[in-house]
Amino acid sequence: MARLRLRIYRYDPESGAAPVMRDYELEIDPRGRMVLDALLALKELDDSLAFRRSCREGVCGSDGMNINGVNALACVTPLEGLRQPIEIRPLPRLPVVRDLIVDMSQFFQHYRAVKPYLINLDPEPENERPQSAAERAELDGLWECILCGCCTTACPSFWWNPDRFLGPAALLQACRFITDSRDQATDERLDYLEDRYRLFRCHGIMNCVEVCPKGLNPTAAIGKIKKLLVKRAL
Amino acid sequence: MRNVGGARRGLNFWLLQRASAVAMAIFLPLFLGLALSRSPLDYAAWRALFSHLAMKIGSLMFIAAVLAHAWIGLREILIDYVHPLAIRLPLYFLFATLYLVCLVWAADILWGLG
Repeated sequence: MARLRLRIYRYDPESGAAPVMRDYELEIDPRGRMVLDALLALKELDDSLAFRRSCREGVCGSDGMNINGVNALACVTPLEGLRQPIEIRPLPRLPVVRDLIVDMSQFFQHYRAVKPYLINLDPEPENERPQSAAERAELDGLWECILCGCCTTACPSFWWNPDRFLGPAALLQACRFITDSRDQATDERLDYLEDRYRLFRCHGIMNCVEVCPKGLNPTAAIGKIKKLLVKRAL
Repeated sequence: MRNVGGARRGLNFWLLQRASAVAMAIFLPLFLGLALSRSPLDYAAWRALFSHLAMKIGSLMFIAAVLAHAWIGLREILIDYVHPLAIRLPLYFLFATLYLVCLVWAADILWGLG
C-alpha cells in the first residue's frame, strides 16, 4: 500500500467561507486504479466531499474535473504517473455549486442553441430515414461526444466570452448535425453560426483537442464549418 | 442588457486574415530572393530595386496585407479582452487611424523615391 497525497478544492457556499485547497492522504494501491477510485475512497473518510459521477467508465461524462491542471474525466485518468500531490479542482470558468460540482447551465444553453437534433420536414417515414454507409461514416468523430464539458472549459476563448462564444462542444455538435445527410436545416444552422462571437471567437488554440477524453477533434469540426461558410459565401 | 448576435458576420474578416497571410508568404521570399540576388546590395542597388513600378505596387500591396492582418488580429484581441465599449471603440479608432497613416506614409515613401 502506498500513501497517496491529494490536494482538493473545497467550497461550501452555505458555510460562507472562501474556497480552500485542502490536503489529504490516502492508503491506496494506485496500480490499475483511477482518480475516481481515490475520490470515492476519500468520500468514505470525509463524506462532505461533493463530486458528480455515475458510470465510472468514461461514458456518462459526469466527472469532468481539473486534475493537475488538465481537464479530464476522473474515472478514466489513471492514478499512476500523476504528479503528487494530485491537485483536483472543478472545471474552470463555470460557477462552482460545491467542491468539484460546477453549474453547467451555460454549457447546456450553448448546446441547446445549436439545435442538437435532426431537422427534417419530409413526411415521417414508416420505419427510419436510411443513410448510406458513406453518409453514416461522415458522422464518425462527431457523434461520440458525451458532453462532459472538458473541452469547452479548457478553451481560453470560452473563458473570455463564456456567454457569447458557443465553445468547442456545442460547435462540434453543430457540425454533427450540419454533416448529417438527413438534416435539412444546414443553411439556418450556418446562419446562426456565422457570427463574430458564436463561431469566430475560435482562434485554433486546440486545448479542446488536447483534453477531449474521447479523442475527438472539435477544432477540425470548427474548420469544417468555416469551410462550408466560405463555400456558401463564394 | 440582452446579448445580440448578428448573423452573417465575421467570415469576411476571417477570410481576409487568411488571404493577407498568403499574400505575405508569397511576397516575402520573392522579395528576399530578388534583393539578395543583387550584389553588391549597396544603397544604389537598393534604390534601383524600388525604382520599378511593379516593385512599388508589390511593396504597397505587401504593406497593405501586413496592416490588414495586424488590424484583424488586433480587433480579435480587443474583442477577447477589452469588453467595455467605451474603451474598445476609442481603441478601434486609434489603431484604425494609426494603420491608415502607416499605409499612406508607405505609399509616400515608395513613390517619393522617384
